[in-house]
Amino acid sequence: MAETSVVKNFARLFGVELPLDNRFVVERGGCYFLLSEKLKDLTEKRGGWRHAGTYLGKVKGESFQPSFPLLFMIAEKAKNRIVVDDKSAWLFVCGRDIFKEGILKIEGSSEKGNCTLIFNRHGECLGYGKIVKNLNKLKSGLAVKNLLDVGDFLRRERHPANQEA
Amino acid sequence: MFGKEFFVNRYRLLGWEFRDVALKQAIRINTVNVKGADVVGRLKGLGVELEKVPFLHNGYWVARSDFSVGATVEYLLGYYSIQEAAAQIPATLFTDLKDKLVLDACAAPGGKTVQLADLMDNTGVIVALDVNKQRLEALTNQLERCRVKNTVVYQLDARHASKLGLKFDRIMLDVPCSGNFATDREWFKRRTLRDVERNARLQRQILTEAVKVLKDDGEMVYATCSLEPEENELNIDWALKNLGLETVEINCYGEEAPTEVFGKRLDDSVKRCRRIWPGKTQGFFVCKLRKRR
Repeated sequence: MAETSVVKNFARLFGVELPLDNRFVVERGGCYFLLSEKLKDLTEKRGGWRHAGTYLGKVKGESFQPSFPLLFMIAEKAKNRIVVDDKSAWLFVCGRDIFKEGILKIEGSSEKGNCTLIFNRHGECLGYGKIVKNLNKLKSGLAVKNLLDVGDFLRRERHPANQEA
Repeated sequence: MFGKEFFVNRYRLLGWEFRDVALKQAIRINTVNVKGADVVGRLKGLGVELEKVPFLHNGYWVARSDFSVGATVEYLLGYYSIQEAAAQIPATLFTDLKDKLVLDACAAPGGKTVQLADLMDNTGVIVALDVNKQRLEALTNQLERCRVKNTVVYQLDARHASKLGLKFDRIMLDVPCSGNFATDREWFKRRTLRDVERNARLQRQILTEAVKVLKDDGEMVYATCSLEPEENELNIDWALKNLGLETVEINCYGEEAPTEVFGKRLDDSVKRCRRIWPGKTQGFFVCKLRKRR
């Protein structure tokens, strides 16, 4: 059983109370995994594994780096969400920040300093970022700083040393 | 014993006349994450021309794309994997995968592991092994991207699988092999018969260990992307005679495997294996095995 507060606190950044059952969350080397009952049983008897079940994220230094499966779990209920147009979605996946001009819809917080999930027009979560200006007042320019996007999978392939789990 | 002429002559003796092959890239839809029609429609909307692979349920050849299909949002969201068409066959040969305990003995980089999880609908447990740390990182990235939930990964040589103390319902043996010229332009320059024989010995060791951890009523699929009979028909003939295994009839793309190889007569049931010569796909060999009853 692992202390899941680090994962739950991350979900709260987006206004989500994640119903994680502590009995099925395992911490290993700073990485958190959500296991099924069968996997829990197997991994308890046979240690030494490197990855199991759903990877939730990793504590690195002072911060928690979420996995994409965790972001997708949060995305189902997130209050803070921004929907962007196709061009902004593609640039975001390429690691770029979100500009006000590309935002189609804002739900939940629009306050500077808050975290928000970024969605494309298909309703798919592409990652998350931090709001850098009060979006209600902002007319144009930089709106959300990219903190993590799904293009990370490609960047990991190019730079294997940066890989997480 | 090496060089293009040497190997091409061997293929001729097995009944295949060498010809160069231009392989088409293939993708496999991860149906646990998305409906096949949805992702096909979206890729078409991006200008990707797809052609259904007739012998696969969820496989498509990429007939034309102006960009890498490994860099689309749909790919990054785990809606499909890039997986050569022949390589999509082995996982489909198991019966009844749901809720089973499955061993993927040489799992990295994870294409078949993800496919197994998809076929299992994320139920049961897959134990994925690989010995190479860097390849394991590629595997865990695939599992994360494709949202696989039912897999545990160990850094372990398949030849030591019994250390886990488990007995498996299903075992995937996509064993390390010499590869083939269709996927490696330098293959004929780089490979010798000695390499092939070394790989064949390793494969026999893996087969031997796999039998130890297979349940009595379990199923095992053995696959290579090698065209060399030492790694294929000769290894299976050896396994039938030494490991108490029998081949199982399979219905998939490919030819019946030859039962006479370079003058050596093999067990007649080796013909149940499938040999795939390069053409529509890369070169491949696959068979299904179970313990003799």
